[in-house]
Amino acid sequence: MMTNGQSSRLRSEHVSVAYNDQPVVHDLSLSIPDGTITTILGPNGCGKSTLLKSLARVLRPAGGSVILDGQLIHHLPTREVARRLGLLSQQATAPEGITVEDLVRRGRYPHQSLLQPPTRRDLEAVEKALALTGMTELRNHPVDHLSGGQRQRAWIAMILAQETPLLLLDEPTTFLDIAHQIEVIDLIKRLNAEEGRTIVMVLHDVNEAARASHKIVALKDGRILREGTPAEVLEPSLLAELYGVECDVFPHPEHGYPFCVPRSALPLDGEPPRADDTGIGIRQLRAGYGQVMVLKDISLDLPAGAITAIIGPNACGKSTLLRTCARLLKPVGGKVTLGGQEVHRGSHRAFARRLALLSQGPTAPPGFVVEDLVASGRYPHQGLLRQWRLADEAAVEAALSRCGLEDLRLRDVETLSGGQRQRAWFGMALAQDTPVLLLDEPTTFLDMAAQIGLLDLARALNRREGRTVVMILHDLNLAARYADHLVVMKGGEVAAAGPPAVVLSPDLLRAVFGIEATVIRDPRTGAPLILPNETPEAKPTPAPPMESLELAAV
Amino acid sequence: MTSSDAPMGVVTIRGGKGSRRWLSVSRAAGLALLLAGVVLVALLSLGVGSLTISLGDVWDGLFHYDKSSYDQTVIRSLRLPRTIIGLAVGGGLAVAGATMQAVTRNPLAEPAILGVSSGASFAIVTAVYFLGLTTPSQYLWFGFAGALGAAMVVLFIASAGRGGPSPVKLALAGVVLSSLLGAWTSALILLDEQTLDVARFWLVGSVAGRGLDTFWVVAPFLVGGAIVCLFLGHQLNVLSLGDETAQALGMRTARIRLLCSILVVLITGAAVSVAGPIGFVGLATPHIVRAIVGPDYRWVLPYSLLVGAIFLTGADVVGRVVAKPSELQTGVVTALVGAPFLIYLARQRALAN
Amino acid sequence: MAVFDYAASPRRPGHITVRSRFVALRVNYRVLLFALIASVLLLLLATYAMTLGSYSIPFSGVVKAVVGQGDPERLTVVRTLRLPRVICAILIGAALAMSGSIFQGLVRNPLVSPDVIGISEGAGLFAVFWIVTGFDLALLPAAAFAGAALTAMAIYVLTWKGGISPNRLILVGIGIGAMLRAGTNYLSVRYPVEQVRPAVVWQMGSIYGSDWGDVKLLTGLLLVIAPIAVALTWQLRALQLGDGVARSLGLPLERARLGLIVSACALAAVAVALAGPIGFVALMVPHIARMLAGPLSGSVMIFTGVLGALFLLGADMIAQHALPVSLPVGVVTGAVGAPYFLFLLYRANVRV
Repeated sequence: MMTNGQSSRLRSEHVSVAYNDQPVVHDLSLSIPDGTITTILGPNGCGKSTLLKSLARVLRPAGGSVILDGQLIHHLPTREVARRLGLLSQQATAPEGITVEDLVRRGRYPHQSLLQPPTRRDLEAVEKALALTGMTELRNHPVDHLSGGQRQRAWIAMILAQETPLLLLDEPTTFLDIAHQIEVIDLIKRLNAEEGRTIVMVLHDVNEAARASHKIVALKDGRILREGTPAEVLEPSLLAELYGVECDVFPHPEHGYPFCVPRSALPLDGEPPRADDTGIGIRQLRAGYGQVMVLKDISLDLPAGAITAIIGPNACGKSTLLRTCARLLKPVGGKVTLGGQEVHRGSHRAFARRLALLSQGPTAPPGFVVEDLVASGRYPHQGLLRQWRLADEAAVEAALSRCGLEDLRLRDVETLSGGQRQRAWFGMALAQDTPVLLLDEPTTFLDMAAQIGLLDLARALNRREGRTVVMILHDLNLAARYADHLVVMKGGEVAAAGPPAVVLSPDLLRAVFGIEATVIRDPRTGAPLILPNETPEAKPTPAPPMESLELAAV
Repeated sequence: MTSSDAPMGVVTIRGGKGSRRWLSVSRAAGLALLLAGVVLVALLSLGVGSLTISLGDVWDGLFHYDKSSYDQTVIRSLRLPRTIIGLAVGGGLAVAGATMQAVTRNPLAEPAILGVSSGASFAIVTAVYFLGLTTPSQYLWFGFAGALGAAMVVLFIASAGRGGPSPVKLALAGVVLSSLLGAWTSALILLDEQTLDVARFWLVGSVAGRGLDTFWVVAPFLVGGAIVCLFLGHQLNVLSLGDETAQALGMRTARIRLLCSILVVLITGAAVSVAGPIGFVGLATPHIVRAIVGPDYRWVLPYSLLVGAIFLTGADVVGRVVAKPSELQTGVVTALVGAPFLIYLARQRALAN
Repeated sequence: MAVFDYAASPRRPGHITVRSRFVALRVNYRVLLFALIASVLLLLLATYAMTLGSYSIPFSGVVKAVVGQGDPERLTVVRTLRLPRVICAILIGAALAMSGSIFQGLVRNPLVSPDVIGISEGAGLFAVFWIVTGFDLALLPAAAFAGAALTAMAIYVLTWKGGISPNRLILVGIGIGAMLRAGTNYLSVRYPVEQVRPAVVWQMGSIYGSDWGDVKLLTGLLLVIAPIAVALTWQLRALQLGDGVARSLGLPLERARLGLIVSACALAAVAVALAGPIGFVALMVPHIARMLAGPLSGSVMIFTGVLGALFLLGADMIAQHALPVSLPVGVVTGAVGAPYFLFLLYRANVRV
């Protein structure tokens, strides 16, 4: 697969891009080897999506040129480019109610002209795209009703119908749980192996990139730090330079691809102070939205003074559970207690002094500076005329300094980077000064360094001050490393709960997530490490609809 | 990709081709049904009013015109122009509304969002005030010019800066320009009672009392624009996937958006200058249609054309019936019928944002 | 401990901390200073406004007449004609601006104002009906107020569905507004043009002919509602973080929203009842205030009120004196406000 790496249909020469006079990509030259999977990797804000968009002709670079098949891409007609190169955008939104097949058919746009009915070739391309992505059976389903992984597959089918030799994918696996991530990555690898398509993608996760790609381009501050095979690029010194995080890298025991483990969550000194009235008890809990019951009879104890991580596939009810514990959702049946007191009784303010929630993707009002946001966390402690007592000021200062926000205190929240913004919201929850902290996917969208920084902070709060922390995490390895107590959910029920080392086993991963993985011990922390196995052979696509025709005849 | 992802029902697995064909057939049948509806509502519009006319006289009035028959004269000189204008304006506004909602990707967009109605109002009131015009055929051209002028200002302001005419900027510029022109219109109306008297009947929106000669002048824009829009379904489908995806599929989004805006301006400008600012047809019709045929604009546009024609002509008929012997103006009826529908939609789904 | 403890906030420029036994507030004194300067300007402008007119009076003469000195003719002109109108302009401007500020914060959308969500239309329908059918004009404000209040209630009831969603509120408001406007339009073609004309004038918004009765009414209502509105900004700030965050901060969402909606509607209804639907003040002044003073807070709310007063008084002076004929003030606010907005848009600074 790598042998034909010399020829290159798509390359950039000295490309520079700037947003509002802020340079994002500098003088960047890159060749995409034909027939390979190339992944662009880097911390938040390094310009990786911008680079991908200028390669796809969606963004016009301020300087330099992108060359497709020896011609300047901006001199080629848009349609011509779209016949050679497909882009899966991160912002793609399906119109409400559209079916999978209608979506995929729209991928034929560059091959069609006005008023021309779909040709035989169009229909064949649509069928093939549906078959390749395994969406044939779901063709008449509305896209909004699909699971995250299926939806992403439908979008990939759309750009496959475009029948382009080059595919550009912008973060195709964000939002997906590990099973769906693997499903999408396997599909991408199969497209490359069986069809010889050249694939360029932007990824978030270093280990995912290592598993999926032939070539990795490490990008920082709009410049290429290094490019080469995963083994060449992913080594400790480069990762330290790229993310500012010390990592260990070792090969997967069976499959050989490199695996990076950041050095963090090392044991802290001292015993955590115990706080016994902050345990959360959940009894026969049933909750949901409208008619749909998401949580089906859950009974569970989240221990006081510990870090609990909740994991599970997409739509397993983790967020619903957390929102019910945080009193944002009323249970249909059963109850939740905090330190023995029922959560859904009593005043909202009194409860907000005991438990704080960092929710997913909140937005600050325009003009709010970091300090305004953090000070908002004092609301449950304030009165109409007593809003800024010494205690309030002290709590806000403490939260700012703990989250490392002192230098950013007067910055407009909207101007912050993703990682800084998440820290500011975390600061708000801290200023609430509660013994219990709930965090809903605090690390999504963050790069490795920001993830580690945030989780280390949560850990320090637990170990030094005895705060009870409950968090939902996407990344199984982070959950295994940071949690004292792990709750695994599936289909609105608890599949397992207990210490990570006991709970996490290949059998459980297979049963809950449907993935094959090797579980080893992290040599430094002793926490379990989950290494997904290489899928031996791309699964054969479901047979073309011979049987279904028979069914229709019945 | 496990088989458990697929629903167990057999219906969805049934041969894709067959079910698609069935869908197309049923949609085409729906179109035929709507066409029958248009004929029905047209007949009602010809027959019903302060004077009820029998079906036979309607027929004769259309095809065997007898000048001595009073009923047939009413048909020819009053009811027929009114019906034709109602059908054309309703259909045009609905198609323009559907196009506008696709272009701005905002379910609340309607043709008036480009400042077209207020531009036409301002120009007409100005003409009435300074030139003393009194009949629709006289001030028609002013309305059309005012509509185009206002829309050009809105497009110019919204296109300034980076990224071209973004949906949000388009909406903002339209709303604000409308209120500016509205203030000026009010000031002129106040200066002169004569102007007020003419303008108030125009501003409320109606298809009554317009001759066919007025209509033929703007018909090329109204009908022609709507027909061109009908062919843009495929483009609008791709545009609705988001700008970036549409560009990656080889579409020149800025160009398509501009073309659609121009068409919408021509259609709405023509409709407004004939019938006055009639609200809600352009806003509500595409929503009804999408509830029936789904999001495919190749179907949404023709359905909108027919449903819009039925809606406006029907509203006109209702306006003639409920307040006998006087009439409720079409614009009043469409708002009174359309607004509850908007509220219903707002309560049903998370519409905005 | 002293009764009051003042301290400049160490790390937050422009803020001062005030603490005593019952009070502990951090105040943005820079904004309050802005408000003070604007108030002084307002005072000067108001005095200057009273010098203008067919019977011209020098500046000093106005000041004397206000405190009750000078010849009787002057006293009449200033104290019974000009002073009430100026005070009305100030109070109505403040009420509209504060109302718009609350609505924009509540709905988290800078395009919202009492006119957009139908409250002015409600007042309009009732008032137009009152005028064209020839009822006693002395009771016109009461009729308009009833219209505004009923509309606000209808919007609230129709928006309620286990809670108030801000987006639903806008849509329902637009729908109700359109229906009411259709009603007003119908009335305007149903009646003879002589009866319609005063109704059209009223619909443009005008503070012509305000008297001390209006002033008393306005002052009384504003003395109650305005402090409540300023105090509620504390909750509004938490609400602006989004429903989920506000709830997890312990804010009783629906109760806070109800309080804010009631006070904003009351402010708008009072203003519309007395002056008719004056456009743009409620929409535009909050934007200017935020641009000058930063995100919403109690002090910014006060500043918004003063700025609204300044804007409407200025517009009224232009309406009254700039042209040989005197215009309704609503025409001027639109004509001044819209270009400003288009300019903002042209610079692409408006966020939605």
